Amino acid sequence: MSIKDLLTPFTAWKRITKDPVTIRDPFNDRPGAERYRGFHKNDVNKCIGCGTCEDICENEAIDMVPFKDPISGDSGLRPRLDYGRCCWCALCVDVCTTNSLTLSNEYTWVTVDPEDFRYTPGVDKKAWDDNEKGWKKPEGNYEFYNINRVEMHHLHPEDRDKSFVEMVKGYSREQAIAEADRCVECGICTATCPAHMGIPEYIKAVRHEDMEEGLRILYETNPLPEICGRICTHKCETVCSIGHKGDPLSIRWLKRYIADNVSSDKYKEILNTIDLSNNHKKVAIIGSGPAGLSAAHYLALMGYQCTIFEQYEKAGGMMRYGIPEYRLPYDSIDKDIDYILSLGVDIKYNARIGIDITLEQLNKDYDAVFAGTGLHLGRSTGIPGSDNEHVYYATDLLRQITAGEEIEVTDQIVVIGGGNVAMDITRSLARMQNQKFGKVNIITTALEREKNLPADLEEVVESREEGAVINPGWAPQSIEIENGRPVGLHVIKCNSLFDDSGRFNPQCDITKKEFFRGSMIVQSIGQGMDLSYVSEDFKKDLEFGPRGRVQTNAHFQTSVKWFFMGGDIIEGPDVIHGIANGHKAAIGIDNYIQGIDFAPAK
Amino acid sequence: MVEILKELEERFQVSDLVQQKDHLAFVSVDKNKAIPMITWLKDQAGYTSLTLITAVDWLEDGKFQLTYMINNPKNKTQIAARVMIDRENATMESAHHLWESVRIYQRELKEMFGIDFPGSPGVDESFILEGWVDIPPYRRDFDTKKYSEETYFPRPGRQSNDPAEYMKSKMYPNE
Repeated sequence: MSIKDLLTPFTAWKRITKDPVTIRDPFNDRPGAERYRGFHKNDVNKCIGCGTCEDICENEAIDMVPFKDPISGDSGLRPRLDYGRCCWCALCVDVCTTNSLTLSNEYTWVTVDPEDFRYTPGVDKKAWDDNEKGWKKPEGNYEFYNINRVEMHHLHPEDRDKSFVEMVKGYSREQAIAEADRCVECGICTATCPAHMGIPEYIKAVRHEDMEEGLRILYETNPLPEICGRICTHKCETVCSIGHKGDPLSIRWLKRYIADNVSSDKYKEILNTIDLSNNHKKVAIIGSGPAGLSAAHYLALMGYQCTIFEQYEKAGGMMRYGIPEYRLPYDSIDKDIDYILSLGVDIKYNARIGIDITLEQLNKDYDAVFAGTGLHLGRSTGIPGSDNEHVYYATDLLRQITAGEEIEVTDQIVVIGGGNVAMDITRSLARMQNQKFGKVNIITTALEREKNLPADLEEVVESREEGAVINPGWAPQSIEIENGRPVGLHVIKCNSLFDDSGRFNPQCDITKKEFFRGSMIVQSIGQGMDLSYVSEDFKKDLEFGPRGRVQTNAHFQTSVKWFFMGGDIIEGPDVIHGIANGHKAAIGIDNYIQGIDFAPAK
Repeated sequence: MVEILKELEERFQVSDLVQQKDHLAFVSVDKNKAIPMITWLKDQAGYTSLTLITAVDWLEDGKFQLTYMINNPKNKTQIAARVMIDRENATMESAHHLWESVRIYQRELKEMFGIDFPGSPGVDESFILEGWVDIPPYRRDFDTKKYSEETYFPRPGRQSNDPAEYMKSKMYPNE
C-alpha cells in the first residue's frame, strides 16, 4: 500500500463546505418522470379481456386469468403480469383495444416473496392504482391497426331508388385484405354470434388469401354464407374489440367476400362432400328457410336422406319472400341453396303440410321431422279501418313482389312499423312509386322513438336517402276511410312504450295529434306463426309456453319426441338464429334416431 | 449547415441529404469514403466529438446500415453519416484511431450485429454476452421468443386462457 492510497480518501474532505450534489434524504419520494413506464394499471370495468396485450407481449409476461363470468362482449378474463419477464416496453398499453391498460410512473416495489411480482392490475389493489402519471397511449393518430373500416361502396341513392339492383357492391381483393388486416383475432365475437362462427379464423383466411380454407371454416357452422354475408344482423360486429375506439370489423362483408370469390362448381371438392355416406335413415323437413336448410345440410353430411316440404314455388322462405332483392339478390340465394340440394337433399315444392300430406303421415314415412316454418302471418294493428281491402300486411306484399305478382301501388302510402321488415316494404314501395310516378311519397311511422327504432340504423338512413319519410314516435289510432278506400292514418304522440316494470304499456299524449295522408296503408308491426298445418289432436301433445310458443329443449326437440322445431318460430327472428337452430336440431335428430334420450322440452 | 453539406457533397459525393432540424443533418456516404469523410470532419471542420455509432438491420435488402453521429461543439451542429454495407460477411473499416470510445462501439456492434471491424482492439472479446453461441441477437432473424423459451424454464403456477375458448366453456359448453 502506497502513501497515495492512504491519503486519497481524504480528498473528499475538500468538499466539506459545499452543498451536497446527492439527494439529501433517501426516504423522500423520488418520483419517476411524467411518462415513465412503471408498474401496470388496468381499468377492469373498461377492459373486455380480449387478450391482445398477451398476444403482443414478446416476453410472454401476460396471462389471461378469470375475473368474472363472461358475458357477450367481455370474456371475463383480465391480464395478469409476471414482472419476472416484463421489460416495460409498453406494447401492451399501445395495442390495448379499449385503452384500459396503462402504466403508472411508480418504479419502486420491495417485497420478500417473489410470487408477489405476479399480479392482476386493477384486481389486486396496489398503491399506484390512482397514480395519474406514467405511460398512456399517446393521443392522436398512433394506432397499431387502422381504426377506420375500409368503406364499402354503395350505389348512390339516385342510382338505386328506381330499381331492385343490389346496392352493396362487395369488397375488392385489396379492400378485403386491408379490412381483414384490422382484426386482432381476439375471438370475443364468436360467443355473440348465435352460430358461434369461427370469425377470427375466416378473417385470417382472407388475410392469407386462402379462400378455400375460408369457405371450409364458414361451412363448419353456417351453410348459407352468401346470404348471411349480405343480410345477417351481424351482432358480432356490435361486440368487436376494435369497435371500442374505432369502427368494428366489417365481419359480414368479409364473409360475403369469401363466398363471392369461390365458384360454386368448386364447392363440393373444397368442402370434401363429393362422396357422402348414406345411413338409410330419412328425415322430413318442413319449410326451406334458414332453419330447415341448415338442418338439411348438416343432416345430409351425417348421411341422412332429407326431404324438404316447401309451400311455395321456390326455396328460401323469408330470405327469398321477405327480404327484397336489392339487399339479397336471388342468384346469391340460389348459390347457397343449390349447393345444399346438391348434397342429395330432396325438395318438394308447392307442398303444404296438413293439406297435401299430414304430420302424422310424415311420422310414419320418416324417422324424424323438423319444422322451421317461421313467422309468416302479418299482425294487424286492429285499429278502426284496418280491415279495409287497401290496408295490407308487409309480409304479404313482399312475398307478392318476389313472386312477380302485380300489387297495388298508390302515389301516397303510409307504413306502420319500425322494424327491418317495415323498412324493407318502405324501400320496396318507394322504388315502385319511383318507377310508376317518378317520385316517392311514403311515410313510415312507428310507436318507438327515433333512438329506439328496432330497425338497423343503416336501414333507416338508407330509407331516408331513397326519399321515404321516417316519422317515429306515433301511436296509430284509426284509418280514415272515404268512399271505400283509405285517405290517411290518425295518430297520437307516443311518449313511452314500457312502464317502470318493463312491461309493454304505451303512454300517449292524446292532445298531440297528427294525420298522415295515404291512399294505401301497410301494417308491419310484427309477424305471427301459422300452425294451421298442425292438427288439433296433435296440438294436444305439444307443450306450449306462456306466450304461445311451442316449447323445445336444447336440441330443439318438442314434447313429441320425433318432432323437432327451430328458427323464427322458436327463437329469433333472424336468419343466423335459424341457421344455428337448424344445426343444433340436426345434431339432436341424429342423437334421437340413434336412441340417445335427452332432457324433455321445457 | 448548408455550406458544410455542400462541401461534403463536393469532397465525398454524399447523397440523400436530409436536414432534420436546424442543427442536425443526415447524409449517406459510400462505404470506402466514410472514414476519410469522418476524419476530415473531425480534423478540418470542427466535428471533434463522437456522439454515437449505431446500426440498423435491413434484413430484406441484405444490408446493414451504420450511422456515425458526430458533433461540432463550437457551432452545436450534428452530422449523422449513414453507410450501407453488405449484410453477408459484414465488415467495415475501423475508426478506433479517431476516438478512444470507438473501439467500445465497434465491440458492441460486433457482438450484437456481427459486424466486424478488423484491427479494432479487443473487437472479438465478449461485450456483455459472455458465452453467447447463437446468432447475434440484434439481427432481425434472431427469434427472441424462441430463444427465451429454449433457454429459460417456465415459471411454475402460470396459466393462461384463450378468450374465445374460455367464453365457450362458460357460456355454451355443450355446443
